[in-house]
Amino acid sequence: MILPYFESLASGIESKLAALAPDEPVARKRFALEIARLGVRLFSGRERLAWCGVLAPFDLLHGLGVTSCFTEFVGAMLASTGGVEPMLEAAEGRGYSTDCCGYHRAVTGAMLQELMPRPDFLIATTAPCSGGLALNESLARHFARDLFVIDVPNRGPDESSVAYLADQLRAMTRFVEEHTGEPADPGRIGAAIERSNQARELLLEVYGLARARPSPARRRDLFNFGLVVSLLLGSQSAVEVARTYRDEFRRRVEAGVGGAPGERVRLMWLQNRIQFRSPLEEALEGLGAAVVVDELNAVTWDAVDPADPYPGLARRILTVPLVGAVDRRIALLRRLARDYQVDGAINPCHWGCRQGSGARGLIEAGLRQAGVPVLNLEVDCIDPRNFAPGQLATRLEAFLELIRARAGG
Amino acid sequence: MVYLGIDIGSLSCDAVLVDEGERVVAWRVVPTGARNLEAIAAARRGVLEQAGVDEVSVAATVATGYGRNRVDGRLAAVTEITCHARGVRALLPGTRLLVDIGGQDSKAILLDGEGRVAEFAMNDKCAAGTGRFLEAMARGLQVELADLAELDRQATERTLTLSSMCTVFAESEVVSLIAEGAAVAEIVNGLHRAIAARTQALVRRIAPAVDGLQVAMSGGVARNAGVVSAVSAALGREVSVPAEPDTVGALGAALIARERHG
Repeated sequence: MILPYFESLASGIESKLAALAPDEPVARKRFALEIARLGVRLFSGRERLAWCGVLAPFDLLHGLGVTSCFTEFVGAMLASTGGVEPMLEAAEGRGYSTDCCGYHRAVTGAMLQELMPRPDFLIATTAPCSGGLALNESLARHFARDLFVIDVPNRGPDESSVAYLADQLRAMTRFVEEHTGEPADPGRIGAAIERSNQARELLLEVYGLARARPSPARRRDLFNFGLVVSLLLGSQSAVEVARTYRDEFRRRVEAGVGGAPGERVRLMWLQNRIQFRSPLEEALEGLGAAVVVDELNAVTWDAVDPADPYPGLARRILTVPLVGAVDRRIALLRRLARDYQVDGAINPCHWGCRQGSGARGLIEAGLRQAGVPVLNLEVDCIDPRNFAPGQLATRLEAFLELIRARAGG
Repeated sequence: MVYLGIDIGSLSCDAVLVDEGERVVAWRVVPTGARNLEAIAAARRGVLEQAGVDEVSVAATVATGYGRNRVDGRLAAVTEITCHARGVRALLPGTRLLVDIGGQDSKAILLDGEGRVAEFAMNDKCAAGTGRFLEAMARGLQVELADLAELDRQATERTLTLSSMCTVFAESEVVSLIAEGAAVAEIVNGLHRAIAARTQALVRRIAPAVDGLQVAMSGGVARNAGVVSAVSAALGREVSVPAEPDTVGALGAALIARERHG
């Protein structure tokens, strides 16, 4: 069911790309094509496969010859294609509460329906959420495959945490070697890290350009971008995708052309977007508002040394603001709000999520202190059955009315 | 010329006409029922008849409520939050905290010194504690919705608590309490205090301290003096209620129509 979907998606996007006129927007389609191709590889059964936690080092795994992906990607894909409800119901039928994270319920349902391909092994991370770790443990048990757990310290990137995590990443490499039967090739790993660094440089440019007023990003250009593009790190695809975005945004910025029509209110979106089809983005655009930055669309790490990648990879994981005390996350959000000149922020407060809901009050207070009003939604970003479009529309519109009234409009 | 505000909610459709001087000329409340277009037409027709004016006298219409985008000929659709704030500013100047409990939503709205919306919070996930909730509870108790306030007044012990605010669970809990011999008046009082506790939590999200704030309630549930009293006790503040609390949103819409009309 899922493999044919990705195959059809990839061929469909290839056809559309081939038919595009030279001046038409292409970046989002290129990105979607690479993701569809990744989906094909994940579900083809022809490649070494590792299901992972969100913070796994995908570029290192690429250098080790492993196709890898965080499991939540499957939940998002199922929601975006309208196929998530039977999976959620399958999980709920086994006793998973509807108050659990929809991403994890969806993947659990897909596992129970035997729609998840059997991995060669799994690599979980203890951050940013324990639900993801539990899901990977369930998958490992279900498929009778070995699980390596990367224990991510919660203290941020201090030197002892970096050393501790770097040691674990070295142990992870040995774990992969044991399970693939192939020794790690430092040259291949170094090349993957080089490509990851190139992509990082280009992403910095992309995000720098995206700050322009009006924003060059069209409605869905950067939707789900930062988190998902991490799956491509280490490959040439990541470099090409980032370069395409950079070039496209640069052209728009130089021409003074905005991506969204009539951008009057600039918004920041926290954490994940709503993954199922909803009228939200279109409604925002109709109201003259645009999401110009997502929390997860930020480069928070330094380049990694290709000759000795482990400390740099550890530092990268530890700089992700979803790891550790919420103060670091608030500091990033305030910086993004300032850099992108946003008028307000939307926190979806994804149900059943510590990151989404646990610190919402502190985040709201931190942004308010910086003069940024926050709208807290209460949505399950995956489960369309709990979605009330009317109430959501009222909240959004009232929020925009409040912002405009503050601006004297 | 007159200016029309229409508030199309889940339980009632309210219409208010104001004149050039922002004085209320007429108002009308009709049940929304299953067909909101018919309710909109009935409210519009009713208020025009009451005022003795025809359609061409309406210079501008502003719509609010969940069906606001279904009102034909509107100058603008504005959310209930902004409209209730504008309405209460006209009726009870100086209000800084407004609690609006309607048919399926409850909202806490913090107003700045000039009566504009500074912050707001809406009920999340479900309609617990709203007009629909009270309707279901009245049905479970086999009493009329309009009698809840009087029943609350008759309660003497006022200590009964409900463990669930889920409309389905609370209704079955109410039925169980009756079977166990609890007095209806005590159950009603318990329901009202439960709504007040939920309202208090909503208020805390936007106003951690309410000391010194002038508080008002609007929406159909504000007609229930038992709920108003319970909210007042929960917040520790006197709560003012305009004479026609369910028309505050429509009044606000009419006043916005007056302001925005060329």
